[in-house]
Amino acid sequence: MTLLIAICVAVLFAVSIYLILGRELKEVAMGVFLLGHGANLGILAMSGQPLARVSDDEVISLSAPVLDIASTPLVDPLPQALILTAIVISFAVMAFLLTLLVVTHRRTGILDIRDLSHEDAPLLSAEL
Amino acid sequence: MDGPGLPLMLVAVFAPVLAGLATLILPKGALGARTAIAILGAVVSIGALVSYINAYGVAQDASAVTGLPFVPSVHLFISFQPDGLGLFFGLLISGIGALIAIYARGYFGSDRDSLFRFYPMLGFFMTAMMGIVLSDNMLSMLLFWEMTSISSFLLIGWERDNPRAVRLAVQALITTAMGGLALLGGVILLAQVSGSWSLQGVIETLGASHGETPHRLLPWAFLLVFLGCATKSAQWPFHFWLPGAMAAPTPVSAYLHSATMVKAGVYLFARFFPGLHGFEYWMPALVFFGAVTMVLGAYLALRSVELKRIFAYTTVSQLGLLTCAYGLGAIEHHGELNLIWPTTQILNHALYKAPLFILAGAIIHVVGKKEAPQLRGLARSKPLLAWLTLLAAYALAGGPFTLSFTMKEAFLYQVYHAAEHDSTFWIVAGMAVVTAMFNVAIFVRFVLIFFGREASERETSEAAQAVEDAHGSGGEDHAHETGFWAMCLWLPAAILLIGQYLGGIAPHLLERVMAPFETHALYWSHLPSVLEAFGHPGPPLVMSLTAIVLGAALGVSPLWRRPVEDAHNRLFPWILRTLQRRGGWLYTHVLQTGSFHMYVYVVLTALIAGLVYVFAVHRDGFQMVELEMLWGPGAGFFLAATSLTILVCGSALVLPIVRSRMVRVLILGASGFSVTGMYLLYQAPDLALTQLMFEIISVILFLLVLRMLPEEPKRWHEIDRIGRATFGVLVGLAVGWITLQVGGYVDAHPDMPRVGDWLIQNAHHAPDGGRDGGGDNVVNVTLVDFRGYDTLGEVTVLAIAAMGVFALIVAVPASSASRNEDVCHLPREAYHVPEGPQPSLTSSLFRTAMRLILPLSLMFAAYMFFKGHNEPGGGFIAGLVMSVALAVYRMAEGQRALRRILPIKPGPLAALGLAIALATAVFPLLLGDPLLRSYQGEIPLPGGGSYHFASVLFFDLGVLFVVVAVSVGIINRLTEELE
Repeated sequence: MTLLIAICVAVLFAVSIYLILGRELKEVAMGVFLLGHGANLGILAMSGQPLARVSDDEVISLSAPVLDIASTPLVDPLPQALILTAIVISFAVMAFLLTLLVVTHRRTGILDIRDLSHEDAPLLSAEL
Repeated sequence: MDGPGLPLMLVAVFAPVLAGLATLILPKGALGARTAIAILGAVVSIGALVSYINAYGVAQDASAVTGLPFVPSVHLFISFQPDGLGLFFGLLISGIGALIAIYARGYFGSDRDSLFRFYPMLGFFMTAMMGIVLSDNMLSMLLFWEMTSISSFLLIGWERDNPRAVRLAVQALITTAMGGLALLGGVILLAQVSGSWSLQGVIETLGASHGETPHRLLPWAFLLVFLGCATKSAQWPFHFWLPGAMAAPTPVSAYLHSATMVKAGVYLFARFFPGLHGFEYWMPALVFFGAVTMVLGAYLALRSVELKRIFAYTTVSQLGLLTCAYGLGAIEHHGELNLIWPTTQILNHALYKAPLFILAGAIIHVVGKKEAPQLRGLARSKPLLAWLTLLAAYALAGGPFTLSFTMKEAFLYQVYHAAEHDSTFWIVAGMAVVTAMFNVAIFVRFVLIFFGREASERETSEAAQAVEDAHGSGGEDHAHETGFWAMCLWLPAAILLIGQYLGGIAPHLLERVMAPFETHALYWSHLPSVLEAFGHPGPPLVMSLTAIVLGAALGVSPLWRRPVEDAHNRLFPWILRTLQRRGGWLYTHVLQTGSFHMYVYVVLTALIAGLVYVFAVHRDGFQMVELEMLWGPGAGFFLAATSLTILVCGSALVLPIVRSRMVRVLILGASGFSVTGMYLLYQAPDLALTQLMFEIISVILFLLVLRMLPEEPKRWHEIDRIGRATFGVLVGLAVGWITLQVGGYVDAHPDMPRVGDWLIQNAHHAPDGGRDGGGDNVVNVTLVDFRGYDTLGEVTVLAIAAMGVFALIVAVPASSASRNEDVCHLPREAYHVPEGPQPSLTSSLFRTAMRLILPLSLMFAAYMFFKGHNEPGGGFIAGLVMSVALAVYRMAEGQRALRRILPIKPGPLAALGLAIALATAVFPLLLGDPLLRSYQGEIPLPGGGSYHFASVLFFDLGVLFVVVAVSVGIINRLTEELE
């Protein structure tokens, strides 16, 4: 199971870095979005796989971290609490990032990173 | 740490700042009460110190150290050592502080605003200074030390609108703060060397190891401590900040920059003397820098014309002398340390320099002239001020019948003793004579000026003009006072001068006061009077008299009359400019090029390199992954896991290939939903619910924003696809590898102790009767209770982000696009936003459906919220569910309909949510419980059951409000932009 989640993390990171290094700001935003998923799954992997070996040929699922409905040992709740926080924060970050995109486009008419770097800095900072 | 009299010490240190704060409560017009309270603060301090001495006497050893733990885990204690040196400085600071509080009333006159600002700062500074000299814990001493730097900065930059004053304030702050940093390093090293964070402990350890080979870190510790003291006490080459500090109002100059703060460095020399004087570099460093500072300061004082500047340079000179004296003290003379009444030496300086500054301020205030040559005939026009100034200047010159004369003798004896051991010290003797000569010359010139020809008619009118100007610019002068308050301008100086002349004429009286505090009174069993000095003539007397004769000659001669500028004054601006220019270049051209891609490359290359390094070093410490566990509890699990992996990876991989932006957003959503599945597999229902709602909101957000942005350009040039892809794959491999290693390690060690175990055990009932969360859903309990502080910060971040979004959108309206054609690689039409009416979102089917769905969704959200503490759910999830419902409803029905359902605007709602969360968090403090403590109870329900209620529910409610306000607010705002 850990192998599978590691593959997911690897792919999510690879694609998001590819997008972030692209030239269009929209791609960068999508890359950051994917990066969040990758990072969250990476943290989740640190709780260990939700499986436990009870005997040589029997593997059981662990339970969700809710006390009175649990029948088997619980998974580690700490990474979950951390990720829950991270998800909500990443919503705020996304909203801010996308707004920056809109504002950049309104001010400069450009959404290309290389073109933006040719712009004079004062144009971007003026009045803001 | 358990010596007596802790309350008295606390009162002595903190009374001034409390009094200063108390003055803020008074109305601005209550000048008398304001002054009285400020004086009271200082007087209470004096009273506390005197009561301490009466009750427990002057401390002799470390057993008197008394204090409280502050942050014991980092060795920070608020502890005091009331020994002779500390108590002397404490009395000096509070005593002169009381006088300065009186003087400030005369100086600022009835200027309400200035007095309103001044007294709190004065109190703050006084407390900081008392803290330095009474602290025993080195870290708390350092804390107070930095507080004095800050108050000095604030007071030098008193004229907030004057760029020069602000510049000089920054210069003083940077210089002394760098010194403070060095001192911090020194203190840490000293603690390493001696194993103690207490000054007494350090000094005892170091003092006991005299003669042994010093610890290898000791030279560094000494260097850093010396740097800290030298910058604070304005030793060459750091002396430049002190004359610059004269931009402060004169009460500040008289108090901080002559009598007290600048002596903090000297205080530390005195403090460390018993422990460090045996260290081989102590004597050479202190003598060299002290002597150079002493001569240079006196020379520059002679070559200055501005009153305050003259006295500032003589202060520099005197600080050099004190440093030099503590250096010379390390030489043993007839088996004793060569230190003669050093504490009285320090007192002496305060007893003439503070009056000089006070009178300089009075003269500038009354006459309106800042420069000495303009004060011709002052002895006739303002006899009182002139005579008092001359009396103080006479003490500066060290003339007979002043305490200064005696203390100069003491210093010269120290030099003479040193010279008897090593003839090199005759150079220092020469320097001392030259310094004394300059001081005498300054006095003679004051006499000549004050008794000189009266100012002519023309100059008088100019003077009147100058007073006008000064008043107009709000500079040195303030409204004039009459009566008692006018006397306050010179009265404090007169009081201090009485002490000065008492010490010269009746030394036995002063001796009785000073003896308990004096650390090194061994040489001279008593303070000699002038007659005794002449009765036992020796080389020092000859040196002293030579200096007086030469100084008088220099004073009347036309030599060195023109002012010179100290070359060091250009040093700091030059260094700052160079750093800014070179550093700026380095910053913008090498480190922060503004290329976003470069940052990504640099950061991630560092990650990969770090991993490669670890790989190379720990080749055998790797975790092997148990592949057979892949199968899990059954085929169903395996199928789910692999298909989810394929979904997550597949949707991600398709993303860069697809062109259409709408499809891309949908794929992004698909990828997120697959991650939701992954969370379910990992037994994280809370995460899955949150992720689901988050995904919906994000897709809406993306779609909204994309509608505001242009389509993709028609001609598409990808940059460096292969390079990007390679780098992406490398990073992916690196992070994937880390995940595999960490996850694999946890899998292989299921019995490893984890924080999560504690969370599970304490979520409902703490087994040890300690703090528990009273809920079954461990994740929710963790969020609102165990890590509630974290959550509080998080919702604050949410609110701030929303604020940023609103502000940005408003600041840059849609019409502000600039149309510069030449910078763009692509034709402008590639970025064109389609014109004409945008397709409407509203259809009647959609609207009807939404009207049914909305109440259900809100009920579901409420259900999620209330059961969240015990089952999956909670404030975040309920908030997101509610947000999705409201956002979609708003799209269907428009803004008005939303306003009907949610009558409160997003901004106030977020504020309300934060306030509720904060109030719930802080409330337990009122009951004496820790922050975010949860109170629980069972609430019977009508159906016979009961609802387990925990008070953190309110905290969760705050979270819910913030989440709803932020997400609905943002979506609403962006939709509004589109319409």
